[in-house]
Amino acid sequence: MKLTNKIKASHARDYRSVLFVLAAAALIVAPIIIDATVHKSSYVIDIMVRILFYVIFASSLNVINGYSGQFNIGHAGFMLIGSYTGALLSTKLGMGGVWYWVAIPISGIFTAIAGFLVSLPTLKLRGIYLAIVTLGFSEIIRLIAMNWTAVTNGPMGVKNIPKIWLFGLRKTSSPMVIYYIVLVFVVLCLYSTYKIINSRVGRAWMSIREDSTASQSLGINVNRYKAFNFMLGAFWAGVGGALMAIYYRFISADMFVLDEGFNVLAMVILGGQGTLVGPVLGAVIVNLITEFFRFADEYRLVLYGLLIILTMWLRPQGLAGATNTVLAGQAITQDSSKKTAVDDGADA
Amino acid sequence: MYVLQQLVNGICQGSIYALMAIGYALIFGVVGLVTFTYGEIIMLGAFSAFYYFIVFGDNLILSLLCGFVVAGLVGIVVHKVCYQRFLDAPRYISLIATIGMSMFIKNLAIIVFGSTMKGLPLFFEGQNLVIAERTIDGVRQQLSLTYLQVVVIVTVVVLSIALTLFLNKTRIGMRLRAVSQDRKAAALVGVNVKNTTLLGNCIGCGFGGIAGILLGLYYNSIIPTMGGVAGLKAFSAVVIGGLSNIAGAAIGGISIGIVENLGIAFIPNGSGYRDVYAFLFLIIALVIKPEGLFSRRTGTV
Amino acid sequence: MSTILESVDVSKHFGGVKAVNHVDMKIEKGDIFGIIGPNGAGKTTFFNVCNGAIPATEGKVYFNGELVTGMSLSQIASRGMARTFQNIKLFNYMTVLENVKTGFHMHTRTNMFDAVFTTKRFKRDEEYIVEEGKKIIERVGLTKFTNVRAGNLAYGIQRRVEIARALATQPEILLLDEPAAGMNPNETQELLEFVIALNRDGYTVVVIEHDMKFVMNLCRNILVLNFGTKISEGSAEYVKNDPKVHEAYFGKGATL
Repeated sequence: MKLTNKIKASHARDYRSVLFVLAAAALIVAPIIIDATVHKSSYVIDIMVRILFYVIFASSLNVINGYSGQFNIGHAGFMLIGSYTGALLSTKLGMGGVWYWVAIPISGIFTAIAGFLVSLPTLKLRGIYLAIVTLGFSEIIRLIAMNWTAVTNGPMGVKNIPKIWLFGLRKTSSPMVIYYIVLVFVVLCLYSTYKIINSRVGRAWMSIREDSTASQSLGINVNRYKAFNFMLGAFWAGVGGALMAIYYRFISADMFVLDEGFNVLAMVILGGQGTLVGPVLGAVIVNLITEFFRFADEYRLVLYGLLIILTMWLRPQGLAGATNTVLAGQAITQDSSKKTAVDDGADA
Repeated sequence: MYVLQQLVNGICQGSIYALMAIGYALIFGVVGLVTFTYGEIIMLGAFSAFYYFIVFGDNLILSLLCGFVVAGLVGIVVHKVCYQRFLDAPRYISLIATIGMSMFIKNLAIIVFGSTMKGLPLFFEGQNLVIAERTIDGVRQQLSLTYLQVVVIVTVVVLSIALTLFLNKTRIGMRLRAVSQDRKAAALVGVNVKNTTLLGNCIGCGFGGIAGILLGLYYNSIIPTMGGVAGLKAFSAVVIGGLSNIAGAAIGGISIGIVENLGIAFIPNGSGYRDVYAFLFLIIALVIKPEGLFSRRTGTV
Repeated sequence: MSTILESVDVSKHFGGVKAVNHVDMKIEKGDIFGIIGPNGAGKTTFFNVCNGAIPATEGKVYFNGELVTGMSLSQIASRGMARTFQNIKLFNYMTVLENVKTGFHMHTRTNMFDAVFTTKRFKRDEEYIVEEGKKIIERVGLTKFTNVRAGNLAYGIQRRVEIARALATQPEILLLDEPAAGMNPNETQELLEFVIALNRDGYTVVVIEHDMKFVMNLCRNILVLNFGTKISEGSAEYVKNDPKVHEAYFGKGATL
């Protein structure tokens, strides 16, 4: 009995690793094949790059909302900080080209510091109160970027962001090259999240999500871990933002309005929060659907709004979300005691 | 004198926020869920008045009524789509649904109404009510209220009193309060919770619609995207006021208005940061008192 | 024997309600100590004050001679006090093993960098907690549930998981809040034997119960609370025969 189980398990592992290798290979060769075969290849690859950006943003938001159960709805603020840090470091301090490889982690760290600052007032706050603070923070950051003309160039945005250096390649802002650069960061982001989630730190986060009193009784410093959690989420949002800056080579505060944060939130929830694949799936699906609706032009966002509502009606736990977390709707409706605990959490 | 004038402006603007916040607090009270569609309700109220003026001419009071009705009707739709199914589900589900609804309404409005800014008719243009006047070094300084500001404040005060009377003196109002305090207990004593919730939501939305018109008149401009920041400020005011506390929400709204205008008065070149002051105020308020400044519930464990 | 947990003149007021009123208590190392009283006597509140879940209004709590009043739940937990909860607070959507693994938090040092780069520390910690975690699960007799999600288990088993998780923190003293609540007689008997076995292993155990019989069979020393005030304290035998206890407890027709 045990032996067969083991064999089954190892089969499953083999199967999964084969799948993993196949997926990786597909992701690596896809742009080359598309470039060779598809007529407007740069347009298609552009969509793929955008999906990768949103994979980073959605996954980083998922670290916060999905794993520690905090409710951040102002993720656009973190994206903005990362983006502006990268853009300003390269335009004003000459950290373009090869130095941008240093500027990317600096942007991440800088955003993580911002995440830490946001987490300070929010440590005491839960549920809705926390949500509104993240929202307020996001707007404050955007308005500062908009109005602090001396540093951020105000409503004009930051233009002419230098290209990144990559082994002497010339077209490093072409979709093709950026695709591979961002892909590397996506892998780093998902791998590190996976590793952290399956460690002492991740378990501490999930225990806070499930029941913070119980996790305190195990000696977990809840405030410290909530702050770590915000910092990790903000870090990857910042890295993603910095990458965006060298792709578009122009950024402005308009790119980070609240709706942008909601957009990322919708991806996380559509995909299924608290799972590793959920946000990836969400980013892919939302972007593909909005692309698909491109024929509908101005109705695109209208349809997108409808899609969000529809998902909440039909599958509130998200596409990848089995009913395996405290965040999953159905599980909670069944377990009424848990539900009141969640509600109290949001009220108290 | 300048500061005092800004204070007066702040109170006036704050009273619009207060009206929005009252509506929001009423909704939050009966439904028990946070909504992000409220900003769009405010916007629709403003646009309904815009079209009312075009079709029926400049009648302020009837236009306010029109805004109330339109916003209330949209409130029914929002209720059916975003709340009713999710009353017992985790909160974030209905929250996301309202975000979807907000995107839906806003972008539809951009298509239907056009994305450009529109003006509402000017009422009482250029007429001022001078409260105080003094001359320093030959420069005449005035502390004044425009007639429009007077109308705004009066409208808000009248509506607040009307709502208070309604909630405290009528049977329906008492049912609303009962549902707001404890849904289960209200159901036990025979209140039709479902309909009462719907009604409370409608009235709350109606207040939002009127506030939208006042906001449009005050700035003399309306635009389909005006709802975002407006809704957020209403939400902030309610959070400062302690969520379902209606009086607290009103105070929260007025204080946000004052903070904004004083921020502009004291900080040079600061008008671009107007909303920053409001949100900073919100965050500071929450840090000082995590359950809102006027929360009735105190730190029970 | 030395005193492990001591409360001096502890009070807790909620508004005007005096939930706990000037209670003194002394628990010796190695004891099985019971706190009993009718429903609403302030047992759980007193308990919560002792382990830092809620702050005391007045009075002092000493743990191993150290003043711990004013410390948070997690600070006191890190000094070796573990607890379970009256309304079970398991991490329902994590497996039994994951629940127990989380209990080892204080005894491991892995940080985010260790996890990302799979450092020696990460490997050592993970090996250690899996090995020890399985031992603890075996100790509480739940090996066959190791990979079952905690929320899917029966009530009595969940109680055991909670105890296992508390044991993972390697405490000196174990506080059990109404461990027998909702259990059938068989389960209660099993629990009784289990707690005695734990005590034999060297854990000091404090039990809150309103089931008199359970406490009398289990505990050596007992503190009796009524309306937040201590009305009796002493050996089980002494408390059993104390007329004040009878008046407060049995006199009101409570079941023995």
